[in-house]
Amino acid sequence: MALDSVGGDPSASGRVLVPRGTFWRLLRYLLPRWPRLIVALGALGAATAADVLQPIMVKIFLDRYLIPRHFPRGPLIALALGYVGLIGLTALFAAVQLLLFEVLALDVVQRLRVDLFDTIQRLPLAYFDRTPVGVLVSRVTNDTEAILEMFMSVLAAFIQNVALLMGVILAMLALDARLALVMLILFPVFGAIMWLYQRVSSPLFYLARHRLSLLNAKLNESLQGMALIQHMRQVVRWREDFHAINDAYRAVRYRNTQVNGVLLRPLTEVVYLLTLMAVLAYFGTHSLTAAVNIGVLYAFVSYLSRFFEPVNNILQRLNSYQQAMVSAARVFHILDDRGSRPMPVGADHPKIIAGEVRFEDVSFAYDGEHDVLRHVSFTVKSGQTVALVGHTGSGKSTAMNLLLRFYPLDRGRIIIDGHDLRTFDEEELRQKIALVLQEPFLFVGDVASNIRLGTKSLDEAAVHRAAHLVQLDRFLSQWPLGYRTPVGERGATLSTGQRQLISFARAMARDPVILVLDEATASVDTETEAAIQRALANMRQGRTTIIIAHRLSTIQDADIILVFHRGEVVERGTHQELLRRKGLYHAMYQLQSGERTATPPASV
Amino acid sequence: MRVFRELMWFFRQHRRRYVTGIVFLGLTSLMGLIPPAIVGMVVNRVVRHQVTPQFLVWSLSAIFVVAVLSYGFRYLWRTRLYGGAILLGTELRDRLFEHFTTLSPDFYHAHRIGDLMAHATNDVQAIQETAGDGVFMMVDAVISGVVVIATMAIAISWPLTIVALLPLPFLAVIMAYYGRLLHERFTTAQAAFSDINDRVQEYISGIRVVRAFGQEAAEREAFVALSREVVEKNVAVARIDALFDPTIAVIAGLSYFLAVAVGAWFVVRGALTLGSLTAFTLYLGQLIWPMMAFGFVFNIVERGSASYDRVKQLLDTEATVQERPQAREIPPRGDLRYQIPHFYYPGQATPALQRIHLAVREGWTLGIVGRTGAGKTTLFRLLLREFDLQDGDISLGGESIYQYRLDALRSVIGYAPQDPFLFSLSIRDNIAFRDPDADDEAIVRVAKLAAIHDEILLLPEGYATMIGERGMTLSGGQKQRISLARALLGDPPILALDDTLSSVDGQTEAEILQHLRRARENRTTLIASHRLSAVEHADEIIVLEGGGIVEQGTHRQLLALGGRYRDMYERQQLERLVEQGGQAHGS
Repeated sequence: MALDSVGGDPSASGRVLVPRGTFWRLLRYLLPRWPRLIVALGALGAATAADVLQPIMVKIFLDRYLIPRHFPRGPLIALALGYVGLIGLTALFAAVQLLLFEVLALDVVQRLRVDLFDTIQRLPLAYFDRTPVGVLVSRVTNDTEAILEMFMSVLAAFIQNVALLMGVILAMLALDARLALVMLILFPVFGAIMWLYQRVSSPLFYLARHRLSLLNAKLNESLQGMALIQHMRQVVRWREDFHAINDAYRAVRYRNTQVNGVLLRPLTEVVYLLTLMAVLAYFGTHSLTAAVNIGVLYAFVSYLSRFFEPVNNILQRLNSYQQAMVSAARVFHILDDRGSRPMPVGADHPKIIAGEVRFEDVSFAYDGEHDVLRHVSFTVKSGQTVALVGHTGSGKSTAMNLLLRFYPLDRGRIIIDGHDLRTFDEEELRQKIALVLQEPFLFVGDVASNIRLGTKSLDEAAVHRAAHLVQLDRFLSQWPLGYRTPVGERGATLSTGQRQLISFARAMARDPVILVLDEATASVDTETEAAIQRALANMRQGRTTIIIAHRLSTIQDADIILVFHRGEVVERGTHQELLRRKGLYHAMYQLQSGERTATPPASV
Repeated sequence: MRVFRELMWFFRQHRRRYVTGIVFLGLTSLMGLIPPAIVGMVVNRVVRHQVTPQFLVWSLSAIFVVAVLSYGFRYLWRTRLYGGAILLGTELRDRLFEHFTTLSPDFYHAHRIGDLMAHATNDVQAIQETAGDGVFMMVDAVISGVVVIATMAIAISWPLTIVALLPLPFLAVIMAYYGRLLHERFTTAQAAFSDINDRVQEYISGIRVVRAFGQEAAEREAFVALSREVVEKNVAVARIDALFDPTIAVIAGLSYFLAVAVGAWFVVRGALTLGSLTAFTLYLGQLIWPMMAFGFVFNIVERGSASYDRVKQLLDTEATVQERPQAREIPPRGDLRYQIPHFYYPGQATPALQRIHLAVREGWTLGIVGRTGAGKTTLFRLLLREFDLQDGDISLGGESIYQYRLDALRSVIGYAPQDPFLFSLSIRDNIAFRDPDADDEAIVRVAKLAAIHDEILLLPEGYATMIGERGMTLSGGQKQRISLARALLGDPPILALDDTLSSVDGQTEAEILQHLRRARENRTTLIASHRLSAVEHADEIIVLEGGGIVEQGTHRQLLALGGRYRDMYERQQLERLVEQGGQAHGS
């Protein structure tokens, strides 16, 4: 899909297509902030004018007073004060405009980040299934940072430098129009240098980025697989590989330095000296025939050095401009994604009270082609527990995902308390149906914040009640910090069982009508396993429970067992009913009555 | 400036590059003195109406020569000095990598890969900047500062020089001050950025929980608050950033003002020509940069030396697993024997293994079962010398494994770890990882043994299919079987499988086990597994619990014993039947 051309890692191919208009689209983010933009531009104009006036004042001093040796006290003091005042004004306006431009850039990028976040909130879960987490995170942070860099340094520098150039040219025009017009020749020269630099350096720039990403990938992979590399005695080979990649990166960086050495500052410095020669030649030849205004000569020479600074600045920032355009293209690619999570239909606002769940002939395919659920129908009465069993890929998790409205339903219906699942408000659904995942996901914070999440209405008592219900409080009472025990990245500091109990408490704190849970299969230590079993029994009390069951004890306790196979429910009933049926019954009976065979009966 | 002393080894190693670089940089500075002098002369002649065509030609040619020469010098010093910095970065990365390959697993447990990556990238980058921009700015500031000031003082007027320079020291002081503030604020801004990064990472990883619990609004609120904070912290940076240029402008402007005002007075008194004054102001412009550079160097060097300390600390870390001085080069053979009273992982209070007395006859198959954390993997890690015993011994053919070179020991063991880590290489190269020169026949043979050959052929590019981040995504079971094939290549005398078939379905597992029984005849095989089906046919099975052996015997004996093994066996039979219950009906 198109994601790869823009959304994928650009370094893999080294190049990314940047759609036309990306730059203008970025600029449009400035529009809502036009008042500040105008103030910034005004301050910039004032600073530039004050800056450009300085050499003119020196020229006035030279021509009017110093050369004629005419020193009237009053005007001279006024001139001196004016000059110093001008320096102060230049600095003041310059500081104001610099700050304003940076704040503008920061605001724009913050807006962009929030827009991205909102888009991500809106995107369907399927999007996250196919996009690696790292890529999305990088869009929200690194790519927007590159855009920030563009706004801050490139755009601001560009505007500032262009303003300065214009000011300098205006001043030159005022001093000596003919010479100033001749100076305009420099613009095509600069244009040519920029064009050339861009041509030569941009492939190198992308190549360097590409090689750097290869280097990082190699390093990352090597660090992850270091034990294997050592066991399999490939250390020397791996070092050689790394060395080769490192050296390739060095070569392109070196090449880049050479290009910069040929085309950047050293070259503009040559152009500067050549221009200086032209100015001197102009005044020199003039002086052969006529009198020359020394003040003008002075002013021209000092403008000349200012003339070149902006050009150097812009040249140096061309690469980050390119990078920002690539980043902007990727960001807009996400913002333009039309995909959306399922939204409530109709204006009924039904409520979940009893918690009766009914699947009516539900079929589903994630990709629109391969059905992972086929004609699934079942009913769970209020307060019942249904166990979904079957091996990986049999469709149990999909059924659960659909009930939680994570994916839009394409065929069949899911009914809760007599209402179509699609008609429920998001909030109602999230409040009344609680989910516990097999891999409990914990957030950085503490135990209490992980139970409460962002729901501020949950008071301390509710959190404690939930912890008690799932027996988490027995552990908490042994920990010195209790509910304030910190939880590290993904709960790394806690054992699997403890993490599971916290996620249980999180679900129970909301007192859900329907509980959906994916039983953990990872073996946990004996102590927590017993606690988890007791917690499960408590949690099921008085609420509809839909559980993907792996443990025999859980399965036995269920009111209904649904056996999934290849997306279909192939057997259903209570434990007893299923035992009575020939299918599972025979084998299980054999096992339990002591006739153990090494080979399970293949043709039951 | 200590970091420059610490980097001396590198500068010495590249003595010629640095000496010539600094010479060219100095020449560039000297060249810079000439054009203002010529401008001054031209102005003087113009004032006195003494301009002749010859003089004009001469002075313009002089500037032209300067232009050509300084272009060359600039190019040369840039490629010398910046090129040197790139070399340093490359060298440090190579050293770090080489060092990483010598470190034992305990190092990798104590450090997060993200942090190690950051050292190899950001820290090396900072050191590189110190050796590039840092060296350039310092040398340039000193050379051009001294040269320009000397020229102004000697060639034009030393009293005027002193007057004009009065404001400049303030510039260096203020720059250093701003630099420090900027660095502090920048660090907080970076921290805010990294907070938002972590937050987004967490949010997207936990998107299902966020949605299931309807936490979108709370998450958005937190995100907006964090992004506001990023703005705030960056505005604090911008406040300083925005002061840099104006401050320079003010100080330079004052300096100009003093130069012109006092200089004019000198001109009136006849102590100075107008041309010299013009040249003087041009020189003054050239002094702003060295002053600023002094301010910058301070910060660059500070950052570089902190980074260098971190890198050095990494390079000084020693591997915990070391070879004995007289270790033998020949690969060990024979019966495998574990004699372990206790083994503790570093820093752990409870033993990972205890009272392990175990002998595996050469050619036998040993099954190891037990829950997660019972010590199965530890048995393998000790054999492979990821960790060394504090007490007891492991021997092969009666000789302690510690008497062999690591390379010799590891050459006899084929290992398929619990987590089937594969590299971003082709499938072929992954299987041939232990022996890149293996022929296709050998590779296909082990792929068939691992029951993955047919599936590989179904892939778009067969054995050449790339896997990993930029290639094909394989299922857990496929990865495990490739990892198994990799371990099998070269028929290692000892094969160690650590729960290698856990994601492979029962039927395929049975097929693989059957292949293994034939292929591994008379070769030692160790199989650790959750699933008992994988060890049923072993010559001997041990049941581990809490790091110790609780039951030992053949499958039959252990079933007859009616203990833990039998419990596990029955439970697994039932669970398997329930999970696969539909299979018989489904198709």
